[in-house]
Amino acid sequence: MSGDGSPRMAPLPEPPPKREARERGAGRRDIRRRLEATRGGGAKLRRLGVLLRPYRGRTIAMFIALIAATLASLAPGPLVKHAIDDGIRAGNLGVLYLVVGLFVVSALLVWLGTAVQTYLVSWVGQRVLQDLRIQIFDHLQKLPVAFYERKRTGVLISRLTNDVQALDTLVSDAVVTLFQSTLTLLGAAVILFVYDPGLALLSFTVLPFVVIGSVVFRIASADAYRRTRETIGALTAELQETLSGVRVVRAFGREDRHEQRFAELNEENRSANMTTVHLNAAYFPAVEFTSALATLLVLAVGGVQVVQGETTVGVLVLFMATLGSFFDPIQQLSQLYTTYQSGMAALDKIFELLDEPVELDDAKDAVELPHVAGRLTLEGVSFRYSPQTPWALQDVDVELEAGKTLALVGATGAGKSTLAKLLARFYDPTEGAVLVDGHDLRSVTQHSLRSQLGIVPQEPFLFSGTIGENLRFGAPDAPDDVVLAALDAVGAKAFVLELPQGLNAEIGERGVQLSGGQRQLLAFARALLSDPRMLILDEATAAVDPRSERQIEQALHTLMRGRTVVVIAHRLSTIRNADQIAVLDGGRITERGTHEELVAAGGMYADLDASWRSQGVGSAGIAPEPPEPPVAAPGSASADA
Amino acid sequence: MPDRPSMGRVRTFTRLLGFLAPYKVGSILSVVFALLAMIGTVAIPAISGRAIDAATAGDRSALTNWIWALAAAALARWILTVARREIAGRVSLGVERDLRRGFMTHLQSLELAYFEGSRTGQMMSRATVDLAAVRFFLGYGLIFMVQSALTIILSAIAMIWINPALAVQALAPVPFVVWIARRYGIRARPSLQEVQQRVGELTSEAEESISGVRVVRAFAREDRQRERFAHSAERVFAQSMDATKLRAFYNPLIGFLPQIGLVLVLLVGGRQVINGNLTIGEFTAFYVYVLALLGPMRILGTSLGMAQRAIASGARLFEVLDREPRIVAAEHPIPLPDGPGHIELHDVSLQFERASVDAVSGLDLEIAGGQVVAIVGPTGSGKSAVAALISRLYDPTGGEVRLEGVDLRDLDPIALRREIAVVDDAPFLFTASIRDNIAYARPDATDEEVVLAAQRAQIHATIVGMDQGYATQIGERGLTLSGGQRQRLAIARALIAQPRVLVLDDATAAVDATTELALVEGLRDAVSGRTALLITNRPATLALADEIVVLDHGHVVDRGTATALRERCELFRDLTDLGAEYAPSLALAAREVEGL
Repeated sequence: MSGDGSPRMAPLPEPPPKREARERGAGRRDIRRRLEATRGGGAKLRRLGVLLRPYRGRTIAMFIALIAATLASLAPGPLVKHAIDDGIRAGNLGVLYLVVGLFVVSALLVWLGTAVQTYLVSWVGQRVLQDLRIQIFDHLQKLPVAFYERKRTGVLISRLTNDVQALDTLVSDAVVTLFQSTLTLLGAAVILFVYDPGLALLSFTVLPFVVIGSVVFRIASADAYRRTRETIGALTAELQETLSGVRVVRAFGREDRHEQRFAELNEENRSANMTTVHLNAAYFPAVEFTSALATLLVLAVGGVQVVQGETTVGVLVLFMATLGSFFDPIQQLSQLYTTYQSGMAALDKIFELLDEPVELDDAKDAVELPHVAGRLTLEGVSFRYSPQTPWALQDVDVELEAGKTLALVGATGAGKSTLAKLLARFYDPTEGAVLVDGHDLRSVTQHSLRSQLGIVPQEPFLFSGTIGENLRFGAPDAPDDVVLAALDAVGAKAFVLELPQGLNAEIGERGVQLSGGQRQLLAFARALLSDPRMLILDEATAAVDPRSERQIEQALHTLMRGRTVVVIAHRLSTIRNADQIAVLDGGRITERGTHEELVAAGGMYADLDASWRSQGVGSAGIAPEPPEPPVAAPGSASADA
Repeated sequence: MPDRPSMGRVRTFTRLLGFLAPYKVGSILSVVFALLAMIGTVAIPAISGRAIDAATAGDRSALTNWIWALAAAALARWILTVARREIAGRVSLGVERDLRRGFMTHLQSLELAYFEGSRTGQMMSRATVDLAAVRFFLGYGLIFMVQSALTIILSAIAMIWINPALAVQALAPVPFVVWIARRYGIRARPSLQEVQQRVGELTSEAEESISGVRVVRAFAREDRQRERFAHSAERVFAQSMDATKLRAFYNPLIGFLPQIGLVLVLLVGGRQVINGNLTIGEFTAFYVYVLALLGPMRILGTSLGMAQRAIASGARLFEVLDREPRIVAAEHPIPLPDGPGHIELHDVSLQFERASVDAVSGLDLEIAGGQVVAIVGPTGSGKSAVAALISRLYDPTGGEVRLEGVDLRDLDPIALRREIAVVDDAPFLFTASIRDNIAYARPDATDEEVVLAAQRAQIHATIVGMDQGYATQIGERGLTLSGGQRQRLAIARALIAQPRVLVLDDATAAVDATTELALVEGLRDAVSGRTALLITNRPATLALADEIVVLDHGHVVDRGTATALRERCELFRDLTDLGAEYAPSLALAAREVEGL
């Protein structure tokens, strides 16, 4: 809209370079890879387009508004031309009024069109992105637990946030820019050509410079902005570290080193920014100059033509007013590539996640697991995490009557956790079968299985929210008195009621801080409330303070009563009281029986039992004189909880 | 932005301008160049108008002259703008660097107590968001504001010169556009911030579902998580639309208003041309002026909004910068005398900020050089306060703390802290390699020293078992370590500092029983010949102590050997009796590898 030769303000010299590839920056110079990235983009965009389908009506309305606003914004040039030539110069007030009327109409159209288009683009774009987010989230929920062991939480979250955000720019900004700029460019060219082909060709002579200059500037500045982003990122990270670690920094008196490092990074950031200053100083004023040059050419040649009566003053003004619509779109279009590239990179990552197979989906003919007594059976179960890895479990047979307790004993890597995971159907056995009351786990729905199965992990995970919400996680409808009874049963009622808000106390970052022992008790109460038939328990290895320790032992006892329990045991009392003890070694059950039977058998368990007793880490409390480290072999001594 | 008293705002603004002081020449030059360039900019439409008049009059030589004038103006503007951008860019980046560095240096001078609580996030947002707002304004906003205002004023002068009455009408929308653009900037910002806030909520929602995936699966509550996530996504949508509505309302309006000026030029100016009161060239010049003012009007509005934000941010920055450090080095610090690490606390009281009771009060404690003393006490008994006092992370509110007989306040705090290594229960590790983390206190430590420290802290075997060994990256962007591993690494870090005094503040809390036994052996070598303070209730670690002090409510309740205390002190028995029986040799599960 701005006139030629006008002081078109350059955009803020720190334009949002966030648009371009976050992780794919390295390949920017690699033309071949770029072309490859572009190829197949169509298929990906089509897949994205599917998301648009429910909002077809709004999408069409959006494009209509966009086209109307863009075309109307081109009207002033020709209108002014006619106002001058047919109204003012001809002394015809009627024509002048008519033109002014049309001008007002076009301005109103632009106003309305832009408002509608702004709203609809954002509506459709945001809707699609939220739908996509939910789709990703749903897919994540269906992926097997094994998947989460491979991927870092941060990476998965960034799929839902950063990558979707990168698409936002592609969907809302890029589409509009592509449409609007192309339309403006073409429309302006047509108008100029229609009114004076000769002058049009003349003014187009500066175009190659602008186009080449813009492209070169984009490429150069993309690198420069990436550097500024990287350096500011490093600077922020350093600051974050220095602040989070302020205690360590002070405790060791290392302020000087951090300050020096910060100063270096600060200087790097400055020099990276300086490059962008140079680039901007080279580019924006040059574009301004080129655009003035185009006006100058039109005025010089067109002016002579006016003198000779070959063209009109109106045409000159039309050119001056319209040439501006020519330079802006070129600048904007030159930004598109980077947006497209980063959007595509994000799309790649999102689709890769969505294409991740849902291995443990319920079988087509899966049935609801009926109410079970809780008899657990493992029939010749072997398992490995992938065909390349060694067997984690081999030929394991277990028969556990309903209501009995099985303690799993063995060193790290013996297969205890794997066995527990198979029971919870976080994995399916590679060979053999896991059965509950005779039902193969693969034949029943996961939901019906898990609603009768409780799992208490080693490290209790509590969600943010209130204590009550957390306790009711497995039993959303439990009334307060039932919740309190569960708390009482695990011995946690007292501390919860001592909190100012009781059950409604928020936990987590902004709420009350809970000790490790308290968290464990809450996790027990949560499991107790959901009242599962079967319980899989992974005892914590690290000690909490002695008082809580006693409470935990009590609570465990309550929790296990009357259920089928498989426990990865670390407490001597738990092991000794179990109905069955299975000693695992190298993925096989090497010994099984009760405590007495196993001690009498004189095998590995008997040795272990003897060593525990000799260490004297018993109820006496203080270990009298610490003996030689019990596991002196390197590699094992270091593994801790 | 909540309105602050305007006097304060003016003061903040002037103080902000103070950051430009070291760049006086550059700042003045940029304004001068901007002014000159704007004169060129404003001259161009006027000259174009003259050229059109010349063309209409059929005066070819005048036309040629005006064309040359136009070329000269364009060229001059080009050169001046390039120069202005280079100079202003340099100034703004200099200001940015100084500001950031000043902020950082000031933070380093503040005492630790200032950072307690949840202040890291707040400090980060000051150091990033607020600092960016200020530097954007000082670096770019100010020059844009000056430039836009200049363009508008100079154009107005030029227009008034040509035809005052028409100028007034054509310029009528300017104040409205500026005002509305500023208003938009002010209203849009909180809305956009709220969008970010809600994206943050969505992120934590996703994070919980992902980190807690096993619990979700175990309780078969996928539906609940989905509902919550969908709700968060819906909230992001709603807020984005709120921001969109503002944009859809203001942006087209800002675009529309100047069109009124154009319409008036067409209508009124056109009639004047017909009446012969205005030349066609002057008419064109007017039209082009109004077109040319579209950008500056919008930018002036935006920069005014920017200025407002910068002032609010500046106020928050000054709040930090104006805070005087409370623990300062003595003016003439006494050099720390050589000694065995003799520590005395005389009638020491400490009350933490925002706390209502003393963490410790009237505490007397003497630790002879080379002695290993353990402090036992329930949560909140003041155990950790003792550790913080000894390394002068806090100054006592009453009494005095001495090392080798010298009051800590008379020593150079950094020299002091290099002699006292503290390990707490949740040690912070830096994003760096394991080696660099261990060698934090002495980056020039040899590999042998690093390995020895790691061996004594019982972490060597774990490290060697990692893919990249000591070069493994840890911290926020690296490998995640278990609590016990972190603690042992922190102990290694403290050992390598070869401190005169070693303070372990619950530093073995997350280490499993078996490893703790081995660790105690490693520490036995490491503390020999040093003063050590062990703050722990764990029996195995207590076995290292020559003497045990029992603390409760900030007072010493009893002290003696473990055997004696077990005999006579009920609190001691209660705190250290392990009740539960452990099967230590089975407790080998590395949590991040195994576990449900």
